[in-house]
Amino acid sequence: MTLFDPNSTEPTASAQPVKREGTAVSALLARRRPLLVLAAVLLVQLLLLSFQITRNHDVRLIRVWAVALVDPFQRSLRGITEVSEGAWRSYRSLWRAQQENQELRTQLVSAQSQILQLSEQAAESVRLRALLEFKSQLPFQTVAAEVIASSPGESSNAIFIGKGADEGVTSDLAVITPEGVLGKTIAVFSHSSQVLLLTDPSSGVGVMLEKTRVQGVLKGDSRNLCLIRYIMNQEPVSPGEAVLTSGLDQIYPKGLRVGTVVGTTAGNIYKRVEVKPAADLSRLETVLVVLKPNSIEQRAANVSPHP
Amino acid sequence: MPVPPQREVEAFRVRPITLWVAILLALLLQTILPLRFALAGLMDLPLLVTVYFTLVRQNKIFGTFLGTGLGLVQDALSHGYLGMFGMAKALTGYLTASAAVRFNLDSLLPRAVVTAGLIVIHNLCMTGLQRALVDPPPTFVPLDLASAVLVNVALSLILFPLLDRFR
Repeated sequence: MTLFDPNSTEPTASAQPVKREGTAVSALLARRRPLLVLAAVLLVQLLLLSFQITRNHDVRLIRVWAVALVDPFQRSLRGITEVSEGAWRSYRSLWRAQQENQELRTQLVSAQSQILQLSEQAAESVRLRALLEFKSQLPFQTVAAEVIASSPGESSNAIFIGKGADEGVTSDLAVITPEGVLGKTIAVFSHSSQVLLLTDPSSGVGVMLEKTRVQGVLKGDSRNLCLIRYIMNQEPVSPGEAVLTSGLDQIYPKGLRVGTVVGTTAGNIYKRVEVKPAADLSRLETVLVVLKPNSIEQRAANVSPHP
Repeated sequence: MPVPPQREVEAFRVRPITLWVAILLALLLQTILPLRFALAGLMDLPLLVTVYFTLVRQNKIFGTFLGTGLGLVQDALSHGYLGMFGMAKALTGYLTASAAVRFNLDSLLPRAVVTAGLIVIHNLCMTGLQRALVDPPPTFVPLDLASAVLVNVALSLILFPLLDRFR
């Protein structure tokens, strides 16, 4: 079976539709030729007129028509361009704003951190200035020390300070703050010392009431309060009265503020007087160690070089 | 696609000398007569020549080109823009040939009716072009149109039979 015979004179199947289409187009053009000629003639004369007639200050009509024809497309294209440019500018602005936002956030965090640091420094400066003023008013020498640690364990009310034997600190030295008495040194190391707080049950401070001048011994209580012992029931004690050091224990100088009476209870012989310490024992940062004369000499010896 | 059956047309050939003489005389008289007679300003001899020879020839392309040529010459001889009369007469020539193919226009009355219609179309086309393109546009006066139709139809009743002698 031969699919294709190159010698065949019959037109192939693929050529016949093209020939029929060409004939139809030619017939259509032939039928419409007079109309096409008329349209062409009218168009040429219209163009001729447009070159002659002027509008709007001698602008030729052909220019007016050309501009009128092209102007909508120009406006559309310009509109699309403007919209696209606007969208791109908006995108870039948003992107830049996002970048700037991130930078500002980073700067904000950094600034907040700095502010916090500066606030801490300012607060410390205020504290230290108050401590310095207090120190300058004292009639005895003191040495300032930072609280560096507290003793572990709930039953022990003791702290560690950053001054020790090399700085002239010895044991049984009073440790105070501008608010009031804190405790005394019990163990001294080279560059640190352990301080027993007055709220510890094993501590004891010779005290007296400010108004009545009644004397007693202040002992620590496990509830962060202190009790004054050895005050007779008939002695007048009223809540709110200030408690000062009596100086009889030879450790704490006389007249230092210890705390405030918060309650009294009559006992068999002696009253039970509850005292709230004046110093804030939960916020200890910088304290003063009261130096004794021999302590002062030892400190001077440590500072000056040996001959 | 089968060609629809058409009326058997009888187209005549026009002698070239007759055509050219008629064209020349129409143009000359169109420029001279209005100087002498006021009513001559309403006549349009080149239009009548276009209509007659297209009726005789019954060819749309011939009518289009004849009207275009006569119209452009008329434009060139007048104060108007080139192309005004050309476009109007080109359209008139085309429509004349279309009417000639469809209707039997050998007798006087059909010719007069068709001529009147073509004159109206021609004048309306002119008015439309002037109102569209010329600034300020001229005022359209229907009475002028009616007068022009009457004058030119009357003229055709004389002219067409005269030209038939040379067919």
